[in-house]
Amino acid sequence: MKRLAILIAALLIAGLAQAEMRPFVSGSLQKIERAQKGKPFILGFWSASCTHCPAELKALGELVRKYPKLELILVATDTPAEAPELEQLAQDYGVAPQARWIFADAQPERLRYEIDRRWYGELPRTYFYDGRQQRKGHSGVLPTAQLEQWASEHVK
Amino acid sequence: MVKTSARASVLLAALLLADTAAAHDHADHLAHDTKPKVDYAKVWLEKQQTAPRLAIAAQFDASQLWLARVIGQQIFVSHSRDAGKTFSEAVTVNRQPELISADGEARPQIAVAGQRVYLSWTQALPQPFAGHVRFSVSEDGGQTFSEPVTVNDDSRPITHRFNAMLADAGGVTLAWIDKRDGTGNPDYRGAAIYTARSTDGGRSFATNRKLADNSCECCRLGLAADSDGTPVVFWRQIFGKNVRDFALARLDEPLRRVSEDGWEIDACPHHGGALAIDNEGSRHIAWFTGAEKSPGLHYRRIDGETMSRPFHFGKLDAQSGHPQVAVVGRKVVLVWREFDGKFNHIRLMTSRDRGQTWSAPTSLARTAGAADDPLLLTDRGIPWLVWNTTADGLKRSRIAP
Repeated sequence: MKRLAILIAALLIAGLAQAEMRPFVSGSLQKIERAQKGKPFILGFWSASCTHCPAELKALGELVRKYPKLELILVATDTPAEAPELEQLAQDYGVAPQARWIFADAQPERLRYEIDRRWYGELPRTYFYDGRQQRKGHSGVLPTAQLEQWASEHVK
Repeated sequence: MVKTSARASVLLAALLLADTAAAHDHADHLAHDTKPKVDYAKVWLEKQQTAPRLAIAAQFDASQLWLARVIGQQIFVSHSRDAGKTFSEAVTVNRQPELISADGEARPQIAVAGQRVYLSWTQALPQPFAGHVRFSVSEDGGQTFSEPVTVNDDSRPITHRFNAMLADAGGVTLAWIDKRDGTGNPDYRGAAIYTARSTDGGRSFATNRKLADNSCECCRLGLAADSDGTPVVFWRQIFGKNVRDFALARLDEPLRRVSEDGWEIDACPHHGGALAIDNEGSRHIAWFTGAEKSPGLHYRRIDGETMSRPFHFGKLDAQSGHPQVAVVGRKVVLVWREFDGKFNHIRLMTSRDRGQTWSAPTSLARTAGAADDPLLLTDRGIPWLVWNTTADGLKRSRIAP
């Protein structure tokens, strides 16, 4: 019976996590930035087809476990049709609760244009918001030390 | 998302309705089945199946424009005698359907030499990042095609992808990105460039040869014939620990570094370069880098040991990327894509003095929807843009001499 309870709980949690994966469309970035206003956070872009993303997501997952108050929002640049598989991947990398958004536009360049005109689509792509309207973008897997330093400075 | 949630609800309902003892057994079984075990194969397969098939291949021969496009799991070839206004009925290349990569950097290739029409493509495998380089030839001017063969002689389900192809009167050369040396070797950086050549019109291929170790993993290759006909490959290479700049090599010769941006990045740029070689043997290259000191698109000419200073082009705030270069006599043409927030544009710049001075960039074509990267072809000395778009179909544009 205990096992059953655990299973049901696990399924419910999985269900909640799934419910949070939303289509990232034109205007979504502003929505995220408004909701996070005044709070430092990390915004990360990833994809199922990116060979370097698993390393980055696992490192971010570790960081969240070490700094539970860290605000991390992950956006997959795949398509909504792939949501169930992406959710599974996010779960495997330990970032299911953070993987909240998925690109939903036939023209990903349109979304990139809104996010950052100088982002050419390379992945992983990570933005550090300092909580004072400033952000810094980074392409590629981040060194753990750099993630640690940002978290120790910004997560109170 | 819906599918998974629905499945979870059904499971929950089933569990809640079942009596405790039965549910207990059932739960053991289910707990085993639902253990978070990711089926990467499935993810990858679905990714391939749902990817847009916008990437086309095209080439002019002496009298017509040839076009290859992927629909579903088949590749089709047609030709046009009026430069793409109307096309012949399409002929199926692979009668047996298979998953074909045709998106962005992963592009089918067509090459025509006399009566022979060569096709190559990457068959996407269920395993993540895995593919086989496939090949088929028509010996009757595109009426019928041979049974496709796999050209990579390593048959493991790993990366053999991003095929490029070059045909000449003597045969056909394929080049691709290959992970055979890095598989099972975590210290190996990136992938390798492999090539295969056929001298009997595509009926058979010589053993695969490695051109270079440590290439970047997912950028299209540039491939052009040197003045003596030898194929020259241009690709993104990993220099040192992780600097992803460009290299160039003649077939079976050592590579040479040809860009010094110093783009150090652990990421997938999905952004290869373009190569054209003129009658004097000078190499004209165009490439993209994200390096902080020199971001964006660049052009340079290489004459023997001498390389011109990189010339930056394209608007940094318009995602300028995916360049193509063509050379006709002293004239050099560059096209690339930009996005202005509303339209995808193909921008054009020309030089009449072998790349020393350039015209101001102009817009050659635009479309409101999703689009492939541009193709730059040459028809008897006249450059043409051929561009596949969702909203406007196949766009063609003759580039005035």
